[in-house]
Amino acid sequence: MIEVEGLRKTYGDFAAVVDSTFSVEEGEVFGIVGPNGAGKTTTLKVLAGLVEPTEGDVEVAGFPSDDPEMRRRLGFLPEESPLYEEMTPLSYLQFFADLYDVPSDVAEERIAAALDRLELDHRERRLGDMSKGMKRKVAIARSLVNDPDVLVYDEPASGLDPVTTNSVLEFTRELRAAGKTVVFSAHNLYHVESVCDRVVVMNEGRIVARGSVDGIRERHGETTYHVFTDVSPARTDALAELLDDHDAATEEVGDRFRTVVPDMDAVEAVRAAAADAGGEVVDIRTREPSLEDVFLDIVGRPMPGRYTGGGGGELDDVAVDGDGEEKRRAEPPEGAE
Amino acid sequence: MIDRLRRILRVARWEVARAGGGVDRRTLLAALALLLVAGGVLGGGLAVGAVGLDVDRDVYRVAVDGGSPYADAIEEAPALTPRPVNGAELGDTADLVVLDGRSQSGAVETVVVRASDTRKGEAAAAEFREAVEAHNERLMAAEENATAAFPVTVSLRYVSRTSALDEGSTLGEGDGGGGDGSGDSDGSGGSDGSAGGGSDGDTEGGTGATGSDFPGDDTTADGDGFAVPSVGGGTFGADTVGSPGSISPPFPFVSLLLAFVFLVPMNFLIQAYGSSVLDERTNRRGEPLLVTPLSPVDIVAGKTLPYVAAALLVTTLIAVAVGGGALSVIAVLPVALTFLAATFVGAMFARSFKELTFVTVGVSVLLTTYAFVPAVFTNVTPVALVSPLTLVVFDLQGEAVSVGEALFSTGPMALGAALLFGLGLGVYREEDMFTQKPVGRKLLDALAVRLSAIEDVDLSGLVDRRRLRALGSVAFLTACTIPFVFVAELLAVATLFALPVTVSIPVLLVTIAFIEEVAKSVHLYAGFERGVFARTDRVAVAVGLASAIGFFLAEKATAVVQAVGLTDLYVGRAAFGSVAGVEGLSPVVIAALLFAPLLLHGFATTVAAVGASRNRTAYALTLALATLLHAAYNFGVVSLHG
Repeated sequence: MIEVEGLRKTYGDFAAVVDSTFSVEEGEVFGIVGPNGAGKTTTLKVLAGLVEPTEGDVEVAGFPSDDPEMRRRLGFLPEESPLYEEMTPLSYLQFFADLYDVPSDVAEERIAAALDRLELDHRERRLGDMSKGMKRKVAIARSLVNDPDVLVYDEPASGLDPVTTNSVLEFTRELRAAGKTVVFSAHNLYHVESVCDRVVVMNEGRIVARGSVDGIRERHGETTYHVFTDVSPARTDALAELLDDHDAATEEVGDRFRTVVPDMDAVEAVRAAAADAGGEVVDIRTREPSLEDVFLDIVGRPMPGRYTGGGGGELDDVAVDGDGEEKRRAEPPEGAE
Repeated sequence: MIDRLRRILRVARWEVARAGGGVDRRTLLAALALLLVAGGVLGGGLAVGAVGLDVDRDVYRVAVDGGSPYADAIEEAPALTPRPVNGAELGDTADLVVLDGRSQSGAVETVVVRASDTRKGEAAAAEFREAVEAHNERLMAAEENATAAFPVTVSLRYVSRTSALDEGSTLGEGDGGGGDGSGDSDGSGGSDGSAGGGSDGDTEGGTGATGSDFPGDDTTADGDGFAVPSVGGGTFGADTVGSPGSISPPFPFVSLLLAFVFLVPMNFLIQAYGSSVLDERTNRRGEPLLVTPLSPVDIVAGKTLPYVAAALLVTTLIAVAVGGGALSVIAVLPVALTFLAATFVGAMFARSFKELTFVTVGVSVLLTTYAFVPAVFTNVTPVALVSPLTLVVFDLQGEAVSVGEALFSTGPMALGAALLFGLGLGVYREEDMFTQKPVGRKLLDALAVRLSAIEDVDLSGLVDRRRLRALGSVAFLTACTIPFVFVAELLAVATLFALPVTVSIPVLLVTIAFIEEVAKSVHLYAGFERGVFARTDRVAVAVGLASAIGFFLAEKATAVVQAVGLTDLYVGRAAFGSVAGVEGLSPVVIAALLFAPLLLHGFATTVAAVGASRNRTAYALTLALATLLHAAYNFGVVSLHG
């Protein structure tokens, strides 16, 4: 459905995207992840025909990206989508349907269906009087008025409250189920993991990893073992040596001590050391690498402004190498919708 | 095509809905109130001018005896109210007291005038003096023996420019045959420098102000040689007779005021239009539109259409109201388009509504000046045709206008409007539309968008199609600047023509050289700055020559100025000398004159292009150098043409 070959986009001396090649299958949800300035948004804008490539070929739904016919088959949701605030959701969406030559009765039906699904009730209220989440829903509905084959969503859940975020992610899954092809970018790797079939990781304009989320995780991440003991391993010389050998770390968690080690041999070594010190292992947990761990491994720096809740909120200063599950339970910051 | 038109109309309809929805009732009422106030002020002004209402009637109370020799003068002055002298108290019941000192026989021997010691008293005295002077003028005008009444008179007759030129003179150049004491013109109206003769007003052959001793200049009655040229005939002017002090250039006050009314709504329109365009750029609001199947041209056309329609509607209504016809509407439409086009470009370049305010005010002032100031001289000089508003004045005066004159007046503005829209459309794309750059850099972006890349130039490049196309884009862009150059030069002519020739000509020649050198090189600078052109000397020379050729070819289009005789004016010849005044010269000289500008443009533009390929400072220096070269050439041409 989408073919990108040797895409390069420069602004003066600055190369926003360098030699980018990928393809997206029909009915697939395809993720583009990367830090700020990685080239995600530029890539999406090229796909949407908003930005002309400096080099390379881009084909969407069988048409070059600068072909007006391609635009008829595409729905685009920019990262920021300020609307015409003096209009109502209905008049706004009807206007866009009109521009796509959608017959008015069909447009009415589509608009109603989209707004119903997105649970937007205030359809005659001025857009200027609506909350950010409601506006985002209108913008998503706008991307659907022409019943496109391909949807290009740039950070669709950015800044939304957890409920709305989950709704948007669920809606994206439904689009896939309806056979739509979705290209999806996000800072928040949880969003990407939860909806994308395949991803590319971009850094400094280049694609640095690609494949399914599991595949990438396998290639770039490692399973770790969290061994909880009732005695500090640091008390024993044997364990201290073990920690050095395995580049492992230990920390106090309540009245227990957690040691993170990379393999089962090390787990056994911790168990033996604990026994030597008069203690025992009380719990062992395995942890699969998150996409964020993988991202850190690939890019070498944490994701900026990472989303850390089960559907909302951002924490800027949380280290990547902590416990992913704990972070997802974090409260969204004040003021987030 | 029909589909496209339909889409444009959809955008237009939506723009109307948006514009309506964006204005709350209170703002609408305030705007209406403002319009009413503006209309009231204008109406009042028109009433004063057209109907002759005296807003200063009966302002000053003058105590005067009914038998006083000044009684009639006071009676006739609208601002003065005569009061009986008896019982009058200065400063209380009278502002001015006229006391007659009579002899025993009752004859008036002395007259004492006293004014109250207030500012009103001083004003009353001044008004009284003017009333007496006007009364005396009327008495003398009624005198049968005109020579006794006016020992020196001037008779102006505005004759056809064509007939004047038939006699081999340019506008205002003739000495009018009068005033030199020879009386060689029977049309001198008896202005023979001595008392006597008659002022029959039946003059012939005088091309300018009689009674002037200043040949060779655009002279008028006052003989200083540098005031408004006395050309006319046909559409220009009417005969005037009077004492030198009482004659002033014909000033179409009422028509001009009515013509000005056409400009007033433009200021409201551009505010709404500019805000609407900038609103699209604010917070990337217009981005989703760019993803639709509509092209930027469709979007801009749709957004602009309602404002053009509004301008057309208002213009038509005003034309009907003030007694104008289709000519007025046709004349004002390019002005409206230029207002909108300049605002569009400004809104595309502005970074904020604050900057947009400066832009719209600038557009308003500049275009109002361009349209209004030349029109003041509608009955005086063909320079007035620079402005489409002059056509409106003609229309309101019920005078015919030739197709050539109409095209000359409206063409540059209409073409300029189209090119301004083109310039703004160049940056109506995602990559430029939402960026926040200073206006100057946006202008460079808009120009660079229209150029094609040139990486290097060598001899093989002469047959390289792609490179030729790129050089062609340079020449074409230069050619597109011609309407702006033309308008700027016309404005310079209109601004400077009333100044002494010793000042106006040098200033004009340098100004014109600068305008043309900027027009030929600014986009080259943009090309180098934006990396479209490689920064090499060979590329600089190539684009410089291409630009010069484009300018040379397009410049020939300015030959249209001859259609209306602007080159008959001295400053007109200075400005457009290269396309006029070649009559009577040998073919070799004509050929040399024809191609000499090409050599000049080629050399000067190459100099500027080499500077542009370096950096901004180098460009500024080489631009100054090119301007000096060009100005020197202009001096040479003007000297050659005389």
